Amino acid sequence: MSSDSAFVRATDAVKAQLRTRLQPVWAVLCTVLAPLDRAIQPVADLYNRSLGRHFGTMTGLQFGVIALGFGMIATVPFWSPFYSETLNITFAVASIWAIFAMSWDIQSGYTGYISFGHSVLSGAAGYTIGLLILHYDPSMGPLVTIPLAVLASLVLGLVIAVPSLRLRGPYFSLITLVGVLLFTNLIFAFSEWTNGELGIHQVDPFTYEPWIRYYYMAIPMLVIAVGLTYVARSNVGMVLLTIRENERAVSSAGLDPTKFKISSFVLSSIPMGIGGALLVYYGRAINPVSFVEISNSIEIIALAVIGGMGSIIGPLFGSFLFFFLEEELLRDFIEDSSTRTLVLWLFVLGVLVFARNGVFRVVWHALGAVRGDSE
Amino acid sequence: MLSGLPTVLVNAALISALYALIAIGFTMIFGVGGVLNLAHGALLMAGAYAYLLLARDTISVPVFESMTLHPLIAFPIAVVTVAVLSYLLYVVIVQFVEDNPIVTFLATIVVALAATEVVIHYAGASTQTYTLIPSDLLPSTVGFGPVDGILTVDVVGFVVSWIAIGLLWLYVTKTDSGRAIRATSMTERGARLTGVNVHAVRARTWLVAGALAGIGGVFLGASSSATPGMWLQPLSLAFIIVVIGGIGSIKGSIVAAYLIGFLQTGVGEYLGQNFRGILSLVLLIAVLFMLPQGLFGREYHE
Repeated sequence: MSSDSAFVRATDAVKAQLRTRLQPVWAVLCTVLAPLDRAIQPVADLYNRSLGRHFGTMTGLQFGVIALGFGMIATVPFWSPFYSETLNITFAVASIWAIFAMSWDIQSGYTGYISFGHSVLSGAAGYTIGLLILHYDPSMGPLVTIPLAVLASLVLGLVIAVPSLRLRGPYFSLITLVGVLLFTNLIFAFSEWTNGELGIHQVDPFTYEPWIRYYYMAIPMLVIAVGLTYVARSNVGMVLLTIRENERAVSSAGLDPTKFKISSFVLSSIPMGIGGALLVYYGRAINPVSFVEISNSIEIIALAVIGGMGSIIGPLFGSFLFFFLEEELLRDFIEDSSTRTLVLWLFVLGVLVFARNGVFRVVWHALGAVRGDSE
Repeated sequence: MLSGLPTVLVNAALISALYALIAIGFTMIFGVGGVLNLAHGALLMAGAYAYLLLARDTISVPVFESMTLHPLIAFPIAVVTVAVLSYLLYVVIVQFVEDNPIVTFLATIVVALAATEVVIHYAGASTQTYTLIPSDLLPSTVGFGPVDGILTVDVVGFVVSWIAIGLLWLYVTKTDSGRAIRATSMTERGARLTGVNVHAVRARTWLVAGALAGIGGVFLGASSSATPGMWLQPLSLAFIIVVIGGIGSIKGSIVAAYLIGFLQTGVGEYLGQNFRGILSLVLLIAVLFMLPQGLFGREYHE
């Protein structure tokens, strides 16, 4: 189709060149990593036999990397001071956004009905807490407000999903985008309740102790990751994937795709609500800029895209990578925050254009192929 | 600040022409490539800031020192700049992803967000204003009879918008290269069979749509102000107008632009500025559910 264009042809040629040049490097990597892969294989097999059918089977190296990744996430407060003082905070924020990205993924990444409106769901949860504390009872604790917030997010998810999932492709994305604009407009229109631009600042945090705060964010994130991976690898996840690939096939099998699409949206709005609530208690404030505005929805999508849509674990690592780049690695080189954000957006753009399946997925398949026995 | 009904009506009619211009560029790109260009608002913003860079000495970027050109010189340069930017956007990014509407969606909105950061970096996050019509040439406001306090820049914007729309109409109906654009938007296979180079047509459409966005952006910035977030409001307007008018239809865009222009101005005037966007968005939702092909359009096919 686009083979008519000289620019596309030139880029393809460069890509092919790069592939041949990198071949020797890959060969060296394989010879180094293959023994390691073989060494971990017995442990991985133990996992494959017990939990593999629920969460997917892995090769030795894949298992090793996942175990290392989760191990590092679980012990951030212990090793982060050796890297930097702020890493604790960065990864706490990354955990919250990982919840958003994974929630988005189970709905949009799996069904292919791309939602541009997920920030509305976390916003609904956040504003529920804010409004309750500001106007109803300032002494309400998180044990009361969080369930209500999740409920609000769930109800709003249904309100959005039921009518909008009748639409397809770009029309669905459009209507969810409109949902964000509408929600933002309403917050400003009812400024006497929501404090408009300034937002609500009367929320007390869970705790001021940074390392405990990290676990307040990371533990729910890990639970959600396990739960969503389980769903994604189950029959339900299979149906959702089939909706993305061939919706008619789902109908032919006697299943109602609309029901599954709505369930996936609801399934996604529950963790969105949890994430929104955590973000309120983390940042102690709720305002349109950091919750609802369209850039938040796009950031959620960006995290999922970097990691790899339709894999749950991909968006998790995508989120940690993104925030590590933004708050830690790039901060050493680029002082100006707008330039840093620009660099990150260009990175996302590059992933979209040249590796639309995501960074994590590329690494994952490479790890699985060091012994050359799979694709 | 309530003004008389005649003034409101005239203001609505003037701003609607600008809306039409913005929406036409958006709908043309959809017509030939099936691409919803979410960076269209960013192109408008590029127009406003390119003009600022050329005509005011408040901002400067490397290579281009800040300069103060006469508006009549700065305006066409700004428009051409945006047209070229739009063309580059297609060649460098969009043509790689246009086979997948969702990836295109994402890529173009990421471009818009990146553009915001570029503007913040070079021009700051603050609101910038500029005058497009030199005050020694024309008074800044005009009025006649019951109509008063109309901004001259809005009148000029109205005239220029209609000239641009007229020229565009001549282009797509009277010239071969314009007719190729129309043919491609009707049926791509048909256009290919009659020897149209579809790829070249797409690139040309982005150039033309970019020029329209450039004109729209300069006037939009002059009529209100230029800010790093100014792309979102017109983008959502373009959406609303294009969906209501029918995606891909130029005629529909003009009709819908007037509908929305009057609705927004009326709501903004009588219910308050905060409600300005809400009613149009609700109308858009209603149209999407009840009349997804819009007033004059064809439904989008995957």
